[in-house]
Amino acid sequence: MRRRTTRLGALTVVSGLLLAACGGDDAATGDGGSGDTQEITMWMYPVIFDEADHSAFWDEQVAAFEADNPDIAVKVEIYPWANRDEALGTALAGGTAPDVVYLIPDQIPQYAHTLAPVDEYLDDTALAAYRPNAVESVSMDGQLLGAPILMSINPLVCNKAAFDDVGADYPESWDDLLALAPSFKDAGYDVTNYWGSVDATLNTSFYPLLWQAGGDVFTDDGSAVAFNSPAGVAALSLLVELADGGYVERDLLTTIPAFEQTNTAKGQIGCTWQQVPADLEPFWGEENIVVLPPLRQRESIAYGTVGALSIMADPGDAAADAAGRWVSYVSSEAVTSEYVVASGYFSPYALDDSLYADDTRYAEMETHLDAATAGTPHEHARQVMGLLAPEIQAALTGQKTPEAALADAENAAANLFD
Amino acid sequence: MTPSDEPSRARTAQRVLARREARIGLLFVLPAFIVFLAFRFGPAIASMALAFTDYTIGATPNWLGLENFRRMLDDPVFWSALKVTVMFTVMTVPVSLAMSVGMALLVRRAFRGVGLFRSIFFLPVVTSLVLAATVFTWIFSSNGPWSSLMGRLGLPEETWLGNPNLVLPALVVVAVWSRFGYGMLILLARLQDVPRELEEAALTDGANAWQRFRYIVFPQLRPALFFLAVIETTASFQVFDLVYVMTGGGPARASYTLVYELYEQGFRYFNLGYASAIGVALFVMTLVVALIQRWVIGRDR
Amino acid sequence: MRRRAYQALEPSRRGKVARGALLAVASVVTLFPFYAMVVLSLKPAAAIEFPGSLLPWNLATEAYDRVLSGQNLLQWTFNTAVYSLVSVVGVLLMSAMAGYAFAKKRFPGREAMFWTFIAMVMVPYHVTLIPTFVIIAQAGGVDTYWGLILPTLANAQAVFLMRQFIGGLPDELFEAAKIDGASEWRMFTTMVLPLCKPILATLGTFVFLWHWNDFLWPLIVGRSNDMWTLTVGIASLHQQNVPLNVVLAGSVVAFVPIFAAYLVGQRYFREGVTMSGIKG
Repeated sequence: MRRRTTRLGALTVVSGLLLAACGGDDAATGDGGSGDTQEITMWMYPVIFDEADHSAFWDEQVAAFEADNPDIAVKVEIYPWANRDEALGTALAGGTAPDVVYLIPDQIPQYAHTLAPVDEYLDDTALAAYRPNAVESVSMDGQLLGAPILMSINPLVCNKAAFDDVGADYPESWDDLLALAPSFKDAGYDVTNYWGSVDATLNTSFYPLLWQAGGDVFTDDGSAVAFNSPAGVAALSLLVELADGGYVERDLLTTIPAFEQTNTAKGQIGCTWQQVPADLEPFWGEENIVVLPPLRQRESIAYGTVGALSIMADPGDAAADAAGRWVSYVSSEAVTSEYVVASGYFSPYALDDSLYADDTRYAEMETHLDAATAGTPHEHARQVMGLLAPEIQAALTGQKTPEAALADAENAAANLFD
Repeated sequence: MTPSDEPSRARTAQRVLARREARIGLLFVLPAFIVFLAFRFGPAIASMALAFTDYTIGATPNWLGLENFRRMLDDPVFWSALKVTVMFTVMTVPVSLAMSVGMALLVRRAFRGVGLFRSIFFLPVVTSLVLAATVFTWIFSSNGPWSSLMGRLGLPEETWLGNPNLVLPALVVVAVWSRFGYGMLILLARLQDVPRELEEAALTDGANAWQRFRYIVFPQLRPALFFLAVIETTASFQVFDLVYVMTGGGPARASYTLVYELYEQGFRYFNLGYASAIGVALFVMTLVVALIQRWVIGRDR
Repeated sequence: MRRRAYQALEPSRRGKVARGALLAVASVVTLFPFYAMVVLSLKPAAAIEFPGSLLPWNLATEAYDRVLSGQNLLQWTFNTAVYSLVSVVGVLLMSAMAGYAFAKKRFPGREAMFWTFIAMVMVPYHVTLIPTFVIIAQAGGVDTYWGLILPTLANAQAVFLMRQFIGGLPDELFEAAKIDGASEWRMFTTMVLPLCKPILATLGTFVFLWHWNDFLWPLIVGRSNDMWTLTVGIASLHQQNVPLNVVLAGSVVAFVPIFAAYLVGQRYFREGVTMSGIKG
C-alpha cells in the first residue's frame, strides 16, 4: 500500500512538473549563464509599420553587430504599441525585463530607478553630434538614460482636396481654425479631429494646444500639475467650441473606432495635428497631404518625441556592458539614418545634409524639429493623463465647464504628490 | 479478569485501517488543497496585508497603516467608480431578471421548434464578452444600427458609447444580451416543477394569465429568482471585459467601474498596495450585498 | 373537463401566433450581433456602412487572409486551447480526488479544510488578483503557460460539486471493491472516475468554456504577443489601428471552436452553466 500512495504522490509531482515544462522558454534574459556568449534581449515596437520589413531591418543589424562582437548574442523582440507600459511593468515584476528597451521621454521617469545611464557607453563624438533637444529630453539629473535613435514630429497636416473643395486658405492660428469651421461644416467636412478616448495619449492631442497657449502639464519643479491655468482653460475651451459646434467627429471624442471608419480616414476633415503624413497617405493620397507649421495661439509649437534605447540591466553587470555596446552600435549616425528613413521619422543627429532633401513635405517637417517639445518628463506623466483625459471628455460632452473639468483633474492629481 | 486479546486486536486493526484511510484521504485532498492555499486562500489573506502597504514593483514595501484607505475615501475617482458600479448593477439585474422570466415563460411549453429557440437564446451565454464587445462597439457607433434605430424612434442619433448618460444603458444592453439566456435556463428548470393541476384548477376558476402567473407560477420561481439575483449582482459588480474593450471607462468616467480601477491601479500604474485596498473594498461590498440578500431570503422564509 | 382544461392551458391559436412572433423577434435580436460579426468580417476593408454593409453580397475573404497570416491568430488559438484543455484536466482530476476524499474518507481536519474551500467561494476572484499576480511574478511565471494555468486550477466550486456528487454514490460500491483488495488509486481510476462521468462531462464543459472565454487573468499574465489567448489578442486588435473587418474576422475565428462545441454538446453546456453559476 505504501508503494501505491507514494506512486500517487509521485503522480501529483509529475503532473506539476509537466505543467511547469509546458512553460517552455521562460525568457532566459539577463545573465546568459555559463556559455561564452552574453545574451541580451531588446524590446522594440512597430516603429516600421510593416512587420516583415521591421524584423528584416533588425535581423540585418544583429548579424552585423554579432560579426564584430562574437561574444554577444542579441535577440530583438517586437511588441505592439498597445498597453506597452503594462507589459513592461509586468515583465519587471516578473523578473523578465529586457536588457534594452525602446522608451520615449515621458515614459523614462517612471522607469528611471531601473535604468542604467548610457553616457559611458557612447563615444564622445556621437554625444556631441546629437541635437541638443534630443539629448535633453531623455536626460534626468544630468544623466543620459537613453540613447536617441529617432525623432518624430506632429506638424499640422491639411487635406488639399477638402481645402480646394471649400475654397479656403490654410489655417495658421486657432482663430483661423474656428473661422473655417462653419464653412467646412456646410460643405460636409469636419474642420479637424480630436481623439479624446482615454486610451489615446494626450501627447498628440491636448498637450500641443496647452503648449501653444503657453501652458504646461507640470510646474517647472515637477511638484504639482500646472494644466489648470488660463492656458489650459483656453485650450479646452477651443475643443469644447469645436465639439459643441459639431465641427469634429463625435465618436472620436470618446471612443477609438477602427481608423478606416473615421471621417479622418475618409478624407472628410480639413486639418489634423494628431495624425502624421505616413498615417494619412494611404487614405488621402500623397498629393492631398499638405504639411504646415503647428497652429499658433501664443506660440507655434508641436509635439515631437525622441525614441531612445534604454538599458535596464544593473550597471556593472556583464549584461549591462554587452547592452551598452549594442546600444552604442545601434544609435550610431549610420544605423539611425537607415532606420529613420525606413520608418519615416527623423534623425536625432544634427546632420549636415537632410535625409529628406528630395521630399518637400518631410523636409518641411524636419525644419520644425527644433521647435518641437516632448513635454516635461515626470514620473507621474502617464497617471496624470489617466486623470486628465476623462475630465476633458466631461467638458467635451457638456458635463462640466472647462474650468470645472480642469479643477477636478487637478484635485484628483493632488493625491499623487503627497 | 483481563478481557481476551481478540477485541483489542480488532480495535488495533481498526485503528490501523482508520489511520490508513486518513492518510489516503489527506493525500487525495492535498493537490487541490495546496493549489487552493497558494492561489486562493493565501492571496486572500495577502490581499488584506498588501492593502496596508505602498507595495509596488521593484521596491521594498512600507507599512502605511490605514493610509491607502484614507486616500480611497478622499479619492473622487474611487467614489465615482463605486457609483458607476452600483448604478450598472441596479440597472442590469432587474432588466436581466425580467428578460429571463419573460423568455422562460415564452419557451416553457413544448412546441415544434422550441428546442431551437432555447438554443438560440442560450448562444450569447457561451460567447466571450470580448467578442461580443467588438461587434457591439460597431452596433453602437454613430453610423451603426443602434443609433439609426434611435433616430427612427425620434431620439437623438448619436453614439451611446459617447454620451455619459447613455453609456451605462448601452453596456447594460450588452450585459443583458449576454446573460438572459442563463437566467432563462435556470427558471425553465423551476417552471417544470409548477404543478400542472394547480394551474388547471386556477384556469377553471376563471383566473386570467396574469393572475395565474402572479399567484401560482411566481411563488414557485421565487427561490430561483433570489438565487439569480445573487449571481447577477455579483457578476455585475465585477464587470470588466465590456468596459475594457468598449469604453475604457469613458466617456468622462461614466463607465469607469471598481474592477476597472483595480486593474488600472494594479496593472497600469503598478500601485499594488492601493489596488489591493480597492480589492478589499470590493470584497466588503460583495459581502454586504450577500448578507442583505441572505437576510431578505431568511425573512421571506 | 380535465382534458379541456389541459388543452386550455395551451395558448389559443391567436396566442400561438403572438408567441411565435415574439420569439421570432427575440431570436432576430439575439442573433443579430452574430450575423453582423460574420457578414462584416466578409466585407472588403473600405469603410463599413449601415445598413448597406449588412447585405450578404460583395463578400471577400481578404480580412481572413490578413488575420490568419499576420496577426499570430493561430498562436493565440493554440494558447487558448492549451489554457483551456490543461485546466480542464487539472481541475477535474484534482477536484475529483478531493471530492472523493471529502465524501468518503475520514481524516483529521476534513471539516476545516472543506469549509476553507466553501468560505472562499464568497471571495470575489478580483480580490485575490493582485497577490496571485505577485506570487506568480515572484516565481517567474509571468509569460509562461504554467503561470497562466496554475492559479486557475484552484476551483472551490468544482471541489464542492464533486463532493456532492460522490457523496450521493452508495458506500457499498466502494466497500465491495475494497474487499477485493483493490488499491485506493486503482479504485479511484477504475470505479470513482467512471461513476462520475456525467458530472465530469458537465463540469469539464463548464471549466472549458470559462477558460476559453477568460480575459482578465490572461491579459495580466501574458505580456508578450506569443503568450496571448484569443480574447486578449482580439481585444488588442480592437484597440490598435486594425480595420474593423479584420477584428471581426479574428472574432469569428475565435468563436468557431466554441460554437462547434456548443452544437455538439449543447446538453453539457446547459447543464454545466446551470450547475456552476454564471460565466466569468
